Amino acid sequence: MSAPQAAIQELAVNPVTLEVVRNALIAIVNEMTSNLTRTSYSPIISEIKDFGVGFVDARARSIAQTLAGLPVFLADLGPPIADSLALHGPEGLEPGDVLLSNYSGVNGQHLNNVVAHSPIFVAGELLAFPAVRAHWIDVGGKVSGSLAHDSREIFEEGLQLRSVKVYRRGLPDQDIVRIIRHNVRFPDLILGDMRAQISACRLGEKRFTELVARYGKETVFACIQRIWDEAELLTRRAVEAIPDGIFMAETFLDNDGVNLRQPIPLKVRVIVEGSEMTVDFSEMPRQVSGPYNSRGAVGAARVAFKCLTCPMLPANDGCFRNLKVVAPEGTILSADENAAMGWWMMPIVSVIDLILKALHPAIPEQVTAGHYANISGAMFMGVNPRSGRRFHIMDPEIGGWGATSKHDGMNAVVSLNQGDVHNLPVETEETTYPVRVREFRLRQDSGGPGRFRGGLGVVRATEALAPCEYMGQYERVQAPPWGLAGGGEGKVNRVTLRRHPEAAEEELALKLVNYPLQPQHVVTLSSPGGGGYGPAWERDVESVRRDVLDGYVSREQARDDYGVVLRDGTLEVDEEATRARRRHLGGRDQPAAA
Amino acid sequence: MPAPAPRCLLGVDIGGTFTDLVAFNLEDGQITLSKSSSTPNDLTEGIRSCLVKSGVPLTEVATFFHGTTQVINTVIEKTGAKTGLVTTAGFRDVLEIGRANRPQNYNLFYQKPTPLVPRHLRFEVEERMTPDGEVLVPLTEESVEAVIDAARRHGLEAVAVCLLHAYANPRHEEQVRAALSAALPGVYICESSDIVREWREFERTSTTVMNAYVGPRVERYVARLEAMNGSLGFRGSFLIMQSNGGVMTSDAARRFPVSMVESGPVAGVIGAAYLSTQLDEPFLIAFDMGGTTAKASLIEHGIPKTTPIYYLGGYADGYPLQLPVIEVVEVGTGGGSIAWIDETGALKVGPRSAGAEPGPVCYGKGGGEPTVTDANVALGRVDAARFLGGEMPLEAAQAKAAIRERIAAPFGLEVEEAAAGILTIAESNMSLAVRAITIEKGYDPRDFALMVFGGAGPMHALSLARELAIPRVIIPTMPAHFSALGMVLTDLRRDFVRTCVRPFSGDAFQDLNALLTELKEEGRNWLRAEGVAPKNIACAAFLDLRYVGQEYAVTTPLGGDTITPEHRDRTRAEFDRLYEVRYGHSFSEVPVEVVNARVIALGKGQKPAFAKLPGRGGPAAAAPIKAARRFVYYPGLGFVECPIYDRRSLLGGDRFTGPAIVEEYASTLVLGPGDAAEVNEFGYIVVHVEGAA
Repeated sequence: MSAPQAAIQELAVNPVTLEVVRNALIAIVNEMTSNLTRTSYSPIISEIKDFGVGFVDARARSIAQTLAGLPVFLADLGPPIADSLALHGPEGLEPGDVLLSNYSGVNGQHLNNVVAHSPIFVAGELLAFPAVRAHWIDVGGKVSGSLAHDSREIFEEGLQLRSVKVYRRGLPDQDIVRIIRHNVRFPDLILGDMRAQISACRLGEKRFTELVARYGKETVFACIQRIWDEAELLTRRAVEAIPDGIFMAETFLDNDGVNLRQPIPLKVRVIVEGSEMTVDFSEMPRQVSGPYNSRGAVGAARVAFKCLTCPMLPANDGCFRNLKVVAPEGTILSADENAAMGWWMMPIVSVIDLILKALHPAIPEQVTAGHYANISGAMFMGVNPRSGRRFHIMDPEIGGWGATSKHDGMNAVVSLNQGDVHNLPVETEETTYPVRVREFRLRQDSGGPGRFRGGLGVVRATEALAPCEYMGQYERVQAPPWGLAGGGEGKVNRVTLRRHPEAAEEELALKLVNYPLQPQHVVTLSSPGGGGYGPAWERDVESVRRDVLDGYVSREQARDDYGVVLRDGTLEVDEEATRARRRHLGGRDQPAAA
Repeated sequence: MPAPAPRCLLGVDIGGTFTDLVAFNLEDGQITLSKSSSTPNDLTEGIRSCLVKSGVPLTEVATFFHGTTQVINTVIEKTGAKTGLVTTAGFRDVLEIGRANRPQNYNLFYQKPTPLVPRHLRFEVEERMTPDGEVLVPLTEESVEAVIDAARRHGLEAVAVCLLHAYANPRHEEQVRAALSAALPGVYICESSDIVREWREFERTSTTVMNAYVGPRVERYVARLEAMNGSLGFRGSFLIMQSNGGVMTSDAARRFPVSMVESGPVAGVIGAAYLSTQLDEPFLIAFDMGGTTAKASLIEHGIPKTTPIYYLGGYADGYPLQLPVIEVVEVGTGGGSIAWIDETGALKVGPRSAGAEPGPVCYGKGGGEPTVTDANVALGRVDAARFLGGEMPLEAAQAKAAIRERIAAPFGLEVEEAAAGILTIAESNMSLAVRAITIEKGYDPRDFALMVFGGAGPMHALSLARELAIPRVIIPTMPAHFSALGMVLTDLRRDFVRTCVRPFSGDAFQDLNALLTELKEEGRNWLRAEGVAPKNIACAAFLDLRYVGQEYAVTTPLGGDTITPEHRDRTRAEFDRLYEVRYGHSFSEVPVEVVNARVIALGKGQKPAFAKLPGRGGPAAAAPIKAARRFVYYPGLGFVECPIYDRRSLLGGDRFTGPAIVEEYASTLVLGPGDAAEVNEFGYIVVHVEGAA
């Protein structure tokens, strides 16, 4: 390990060239990203931003990566390229080749995430690879979209491509193209998206080659080395600021979608020592039967690490040199290549949150309480009677964010795994699909009570206007979003059905496939709130009263959890009753002092 | 004594620091400029002092164009009205939920912008429309009465009304508005369907709320200005700049104050668009570099590109406004940008700026950190003695000392190397803004000319153009005041947009044609009411089209008044073409649907005739007069003895080649070796960029 200060002092490049090359690398990655989003065919790429774009060097180390795209694809382009290098050998790769990889053994994500990459040669020397990971809307398998809720093996989830050359020396391999065409459900769209990935790679090759031609290979790579070293210096400083220690946290998932009565415990150990952090997943459970597996140990650890170190700094190899990830083979985060991985992101989002929770004792002001930690959404599908065409509505579930030591959690946002993902406007949904949204509002009392309150989840009630089917996949009901420092838990997911306006509400199962709906049926999803921070009875009384006036908190919750008693009618604070109630609440958790 | 006939166009732009005035005399083509400090407590004070300095009497002004930061100040200072919001039952949280996105992937502490209306002031009424505009639940009077009671109880100053699907049928909104107006005199009330008739409830609600929030303050501001104008004998028309690149009357400004949000930066783009037509340069990049930022916009066929949505306060932290706004991409690099060494030891330029106080080191006003301007001075690119025509001599030695001490010495560089490096980094940063509007949108900079303005623009234009392979650079006359000049070239404009989701096929054409006719009639009536003569009215029709199944639509010109069988095929082909430009492919076989119908209504104003510059008449005088020579540093060449041209002495048809410098008041043009300049008949300098072709 080189001392960071030393690394920074040896300025091997001209400081001006360094800045120009730095800007050029950002510009290349941005241009590749806009080229991808402009030329892709599916909204999942252009709108939901289910992609990662970047460069790795000839040793598969990340040179640069776009800040757009999903957070969870943080610097995960290395492993498939290392696999291509191992399989083909450097001499087996030629200029003009483009390779595809979604092989579960190295990518460890659902098979929809396919990485296109191409070698860049300058003067016969392999220098780098542009790489584009993007979500294909279907890769075959047992259900449309390839994300079955109940698959037990990866083979139910579609076609695998392991470092397959779809282009050889600049020409498409039509055999490979035919294999893809006849193994996916929407071949024209998917081959269109694949071409968009390839054209982004080609652009990256061209721009990177121009950069090397202009400044010279030695200079460009000296700049890259320097950019890595800077990132390392900054992330080391960030970790040095965290007190040393061994920190642990645990929670559990409700089930794996197959064994519905079997909770899945998640446990993480984080070791901070000087400027190094180790995230140890040794105590994670063995891989599961359902589609909740992944090889996402490194990815999950990196997202949490990035949030805690330099969140606004562009990601590259240097950002993670002081992060060690321990994950023995065969856990839910290091599953074998045959394990089902369709819903791999569901555990990941809880794992990221768990790492933050573990570090709370060390850095109480730099983490958030538990958030709603779900990656799903109510899905409605059927045939639209107006157009006669099939429809499939997928609106991402949104929920409450965890409170911090200084702020209430945000109400109604997307999860830690998602970033700049937007929900579906009600007016667009109703115009496009045979449904009507009856209400869409914040869910009162769903935020975990605390000195700082957890963010609120939402209530969204959707009425079917034509016969259709509903699918749902919700988690973390048994282990709600946690509070920190004595803050309370957020409310959990709930799904109900009302068959007609006068009928009583029925509870629906939280994991449900192809449930038939008739016109007038209303499905109401209540999403979780985030956890609170600090004891609720320490919350400023006026803030509690304002929350009641704003309807974020009911009078009952104000009294029961926050110990703030409001008078009938005026809703003025009853000082005396409040003092008594707060004394009682404070004492309840501090029996020793009483 | 009869007052003299109005013979002037006047533009007054209030910026954050300065208020700028430009007056164009329609009789003799003379241009008058003046400047004074902005006066935030009462902005009209700054206008008065500009008028006094300029010596232009308001009695002689035919049209007064005005741009102001009033709206943006109100939002930044959070000094808008106490505002309420009326929504459909079940949807009062639309404003707060927003689109649920987190634009900063790894920032755990990201916060959505605070809603301008707190939850207890968001009221629901019983009513419901369908997407087709049919009444599903009639509006109940009791629920409106309850809103009125609450508005009184809370002492609201403004109320926004935004109901679901009101773009399809505004009747309920109009009923709510009528009831509120009758019961709450003096309260500012606006409804979404009067401002924007497009779907997406969050963006529409946010726009309507913003309009209500700034409304009362804008009303008072306009009243104060009109009183001032009246007291100074003004009898012409008073027009206010909008973010869409048009102007509106003061009555319209009271009704749609939200459309005034970004008036300042767009004026220069309007000027550039006007010159684009005049010069027959259909594809232009307008580039404006001032003291703290550089801004880039794109002009195609004389029309600035607009964006259908704008985030007031930035994408991550701002409020969306669903209004067409001229697209301006900004980077934090300007003449005042500070060069510094960051904590890792890397050399950075900006985004921190020395501003006007203390300003760059060379101003000698106490600034210690070297800036882009200091680097220009150190390299001899700016003449320290003749800065601002000699009004403000610069301290070149101090600038060099600061660069030596803070930048050159730590890296072991020569002062000139360090100074040239600062400029290279600044230009590299600025190229990112131009890339964002061209390369990242599917346009090739090689197809464009670069029109530069702002005080610092001409200094860096040629390097920037070379970097991006832009073949031509155009420097208008008075580049430092070009934005102000753009104001007096602005037309009355209003955009009428209506969401109307239909297949783009025969069955729907009757509906669409009826709608387009209605929108055009609305546009014409509005312009007539604003006093525009019928011959000066122009309406252009567009359809926002998309392939069935996709989310985002492309605004496509209709190329005619209504859709006829011939037009249909042409419009469809044009849509496929535009889609191809933007997305790299098109699907001529896939059915297309309409999302919005759009009409832009323009009321063309009187345009100033720019004076032409005489030529030298005869080949003998083809070379310009060289005012002086001095040594200017060029990277790779070192100090080169350069001819210095005085712009005032240039005549039409003059040609010269770099290395060379052209000086004028408040601006300096730097030509690199081989750059070939030519002065055209209007006095604009057109430079063919060496090495870009």
